[in-house]
Amino acid sequence: MIGALQTAARLHAAALADVQSALDPAADQAQAIDGIWHLMLWVCVPMYLLVMAALAFVVWRARRQRRERGDVATASEGSLYNGLGIWVVVVMLGLTVLTTASYLVDRKLIPAQDAQVKIRITAKQWWWQVEYLNDDPSQQFMTANELHLPLAQKTHVELRSDDVIHSFWVPNLSGKRDMIPGRVNQIELTPRRAGKYRGTCAEFCGLQHAKMSLLVYVDEEKNFASWRSAQLGAAPSPGSEVLEHGKRYFETTTCAMCHTINGTTAHSLAGPDLTHLASRSTIAAGALPLNAGSLAAWLSDPQRQKPGTNMPTIDIEPDDLNALVAYLLSLK
Amino acid sequence: MAARFQSQATRPRIAGSSGMGGRWIALSQSNARHDASLQHDAMGEVSEPAHCGNGGGAASERRPRLISLALAAVVLLAIARAAAAVEVAPSDGDWPMAARNYASTRYSELNEVTADNAHRLRVAFTFSLGVERGQEAAPIVAGGTMYLAAPFPNVLYALDLTQPGAPLKWSYRPNANRAAQGVACCDYVNRGAVLWKDKIIYNTLDGVTIALDTRTGKELWKTPLANIQIGETVTMAPLVVKGKVLVGNAGGEFGVRGWMAALDADDGHIVWKAFHTGPDKDVLIGPEFKPFYDSDKGSDLGIKSWPPEAWRTGGGTAWGWISYDPELNLIFYGTGNPGPWNAEQRPGDNKWTGGLFARNPDTGQARWFYQFSPHDLFDYDSINENVLLDLTINGAPRKVLARPERNGYLYLIDRASGEVLSADAFFPVNSENGIDLKSGRPNYNPDKHPQVGKTVRNICPTASGAKDWNPSAYSPDTGWLYIPRQNLCMDWQATEVNYIQGTPFVGADVNMFAGPGGYRGAFIAWDPVARKSVWEIHEDLPIWSGALATAGNLVFYGTMDGWLKALDAKDGSLKWQFQTGSGIIGQPIAYRGPDGHEYIAVLSGVGGWAGAIVVANLDARDKTAAKGMVNATADLKEKTRPGGTLYVFALPAS
Amino acid sequence: MCLRFRHPDYRALLALLLASLALVGCERERREYSTQPLPETTPATIAVSSLRPGGAATFAADPRGSHYQRNAYDINQGERMFRWFNCNGCHGSGGGDIGPALMDAQWRYGGSIDQIVASIVQGRPDGMPAFGGKIPPQQIWQLAAYVRALSGNVPKDAAPSRSDTISNTPPLTRMPEQPPASEPARHP
Repeated sequence: MIGALQTAARLHAAALADVQSALDPAADQAQAIDGIWHLMLWVCVPMYLLVMAALAFVVWRARRQRRERGDVATASEGSLYNGLGIWVVVVMLGLTVLTTASYLVDRKLIPAQDAQVKIRITAKQWWWQVEYLNDDPSQQFMTANELHLPLAQKTHVELRSDDVIHSFWVPNLSGKRDMIPGRVNQIELTPRRAGKYRGTCAEFCGLQHAKMSLLVYVDEEKNFASWRSAQLGAAPSPGSEVLEHGKRYFETTTCAMCHTINGTTAHSLAGPDLTHLASRSTIAAGALPLNAGSLAAWLSDPQRQKPGTNMPTIDIEPDDLNALVAYLLSLK
Repeated sequence: MAARFQSQATRPRIAGSSGMGGRWIALSQSNARHDASLQHDAMGEVSEPAHCGNGGGAASERRPRLISLALAAVVLLAIARAAAAVEVAPSDGDWPMAARNYASTRYSELNEVTADNAHRLRVAFTFSLGVERGQEAAPIVAGGTMYLAAPFPNVLYALDLTQPGAPLKWSYRPNANRAAQGVACCDYVNRGAVLWKDKIIYNTLDGVTIALDTRTGKELWKTPLANIQIGETVTMAPLVVKGKVLVGNAGGEFGVRGWMAALDADDGHIVWKAFHTGPDKDVLIGPEFKPFYDSDKGSDLGIKSWPPEAWRTGGGTAWGWISYDPELNLIFYGTGNPGPWNAEQRPGDNKWTGGLFARNPDTGQARWFYQFSPHDLFDYDSINENVLLDLTINGAPRKVLARPERNGYLYLIDRASGEVLSADAFFPVNSENGIDLKSGRPNYNPDKHPQVGKTVRNICPTASGAKDWNPSAYSPDTGWLYIPRQNLCMDWQATEVNYIQGTPFVGADVNMFAGPGGYRGAFIAWDPVARKSVWEIHEDLPIWSGALATAGNLVFYGTMDGWLKALDAKDGSLKWQFQTGSGIIGQPIAYRGPDGHEYIAVLSGVGGWAGAIVVANLDARDKTAAKGMVNATADLKEKTRPGGTLYVFALPAS
Repeated sequence: MCLRFRHPDYRALLALLLASLALVGCERERREYSTQPLPETTPATIAVSSLRPGGAATFAADPRGSHYQRNAYDINQGERMFRWFNCNGCHGSGGGDIGPALMDAQWRYGGSIDQIVASIVQGRPDGMPAFGGKIPPQQIWQLAAYVRALSGNVPKDAAPSRSDTISNTPPLTRMPEQPPASEPARHP
């Protein structure tokens, strides 16, 4: 019996396991939320069934009584008050349990100020600007649309928005937290399982709200450290003529008006930081995978891939496009 | 020119006489003046410090020096006799550099015009510069000629003061690049030329330093220094020290990297160039560097106190004033604001912006640095004038540098070591709660800390400061500094800004308005030893002109609606004023004309950042126009109009 | 039941409902995220001077200009890019700074939307940078439409209202219409 239950539990977990699932907690915060979710489920479902059963019983008995006696008998006053009394007590107990549990979980979700990793995410239509903060300013860096978090360490995330209300939601790691322009919100993440998770914007923010997703990689400590030091460096310099052509095109035409590549003269924040674009696995906030084909499709007509996005369609010549794609793919 | 050829042997030992480069030694409250212990003759030959008057000094060095000086005297006297026999003024009546002397006192020993007869001052002559933009220059006078540097297109005029009406002797038009007007943050101004031997040297807006022959106006050399494509311009008045022309760039609002360069005065080649952000080798920080405070010690702080790569667009330009102490052999100048104005994009102390450098003028190597505004939050450029005074502080004589700083504090700094001796507010500051003298750092008020998307209200002083570039003057007669200042506060909202080369890199929306008291400008007399103000004159409009102090117990300044005023230096009472027809933002000077009489000269023509609404015809309905200045000067169009005229005043002939 | 339908109140209600169905098919405005099949261009020839030797001093306005300056989406994208590309660094929020004011009726190089597009693309000798080749043509049209809105020259239902920044100009929906004055004297 126990074995069967255990197997059932494991199958259940496996069924729920997913890169973007609130029912597959991989962090302390998501675990707490998952706990209270189950508590509420196992309290409310039986209550619901009980109420429905009581209702069904009453309806059935009334019909039988009418059939047999011609009218419905009413209960005696005493038993009515008893029943009501017991019911009120049961409900109050249930509510107290749920309220207390909710309060305790809420306390657990409050971000502490002693996190080892501090990140600032600014949501923009329709992508995520990610800055890794540090007390030593020369150790700060910026990336986009992808988070890397160290396993088993507290990460404090500051949430801002540049335009409209967005919401940060990585279901496997924690609950939703809105990102409101003019206000700074905070959330804490303490991941307990390495792997890849997917987050998404959880507050309707415009035409491409559905294609505003965020990938979160939880790494072992040393993998995280090596990723971080790679991100700190400037972009690799072009090693061939094609790459040089691509870099020159990037710096001297439209691209530099909106994007940053450290190591070039482009330092604009209107669009995602591309310094280490090729170290990421998607482009356009998860709308497309990162590979030569998608990149070429995106660069030649972003409005077809993600209509309404703020990246304009630019008339690029084929030679320039090839060079640009090659250069961007070299930015590891 | 003959009178300038006076050697030390024949120069009359008048107490307080100072030739070009004489240093003022002011004792507390005492009117006694020591002889200047260093004499430069006007040829620019630097004699080693003579250490006279104080009894000390390297006596063993004196004898060879005296011999060479005597030889020079003989030679020069011979040449002098052969020169033209026009009666020209002796050198102590000249004004060879914008600050008058290396100590930057802006004090004239001429005392023909006094507080008693100033009410009789009349216009002696005028001159139209032909361009009606902000006139910030100081007229340069030497050898019977006056040199005027005009705003873009940066024509340089030489007026012959020996003829009635001071007709034009020659003019030079440099063909400066028009596009530079698009990257000049604060009008197309020029703060003046500088005289060096037989050359007059100045900078053009598009960043070319030009040396002209003083007699003919012929171009002797020109050196392009700035790149307008990245937003660099040059507006400052250069200074020549030991045969090197010191030039600094402007463009902190365009995300340029600030620098100071030294050019050889004879042929214009670059001798050294020091940047103000980046690695130590670019900033010329080496083994000689001994900063006083711990936060300035360390290697490559010009990179480490910035996020990666941010120092390349970090600002720290040097568009203001330079002073020189020949005894310590140090030049002193300040660096401008870091870029962008939005401080959140550049966490860290942002060295070496917002501070004061002391450098060796021969090599450019830094000796010390003090940062007035680490991680500047409010565009407090630190380029103001540095008045070199020898004061007695707490019973001991100290070599002091007095700096009325943009953040509203008057600093007295030991110019040998960089230690801040005192910092007292000359304006009701609320953006900072005093300066911590132990660490040297300001205590930023957390209530006034800007944040992206948040509007912070009533920050005092405003971005242009309690006092901007317009320089103060020092009178050794009273021992006081005369500071022309502004009284403005601001609301500030930081926004994220994109760096696009050649476009402004600011990131703040600002509204400015009158500060506490409701008036917008003030002229104060400040006692640096007592560390407080003695008297204050309030003006409705902000005061953006320089100050002049003379031995006639007078101080002069100009208002933004065109009045040139003379006040009694002791009590501030108004002795004379004249309406020049356009706001005055220039630097008044006093000189002795060829006829031996004293003349007061000033350029009239409103503009600069403060006068932008008039000179560029901006729209007062936008409170953030001209970076918020339009809101503070919304009534200026009714009070004045653009102009561009030199006014020279003197007492009437009888 | 049939009796009730003949009641005049119900018939009026039904008529109203049917009439309102007609509005369902109405789009407030058409948004073009990118022109198809070819990307947008800017007008090829625009005159800045109104002096035309040998004939009448008019030139035909580009019809696209009318579309852009009536479209709320385009004007608002223009407002966003006005700050992204640092136009506000030189022109303030319309009141001017290093560059001239854009919210009044004085235009050095012409104030029609075509002429504004030309100024942005070509730059101007006294300090306006040339953004042609840097900002794509459709975005230049959007910027020019916003610049027109700064002086009240767009329909009020397309103009952006309160901005999200610190209070600067009066809201553009309340900006009085200031058509470009013809060839004002050039300010020194």
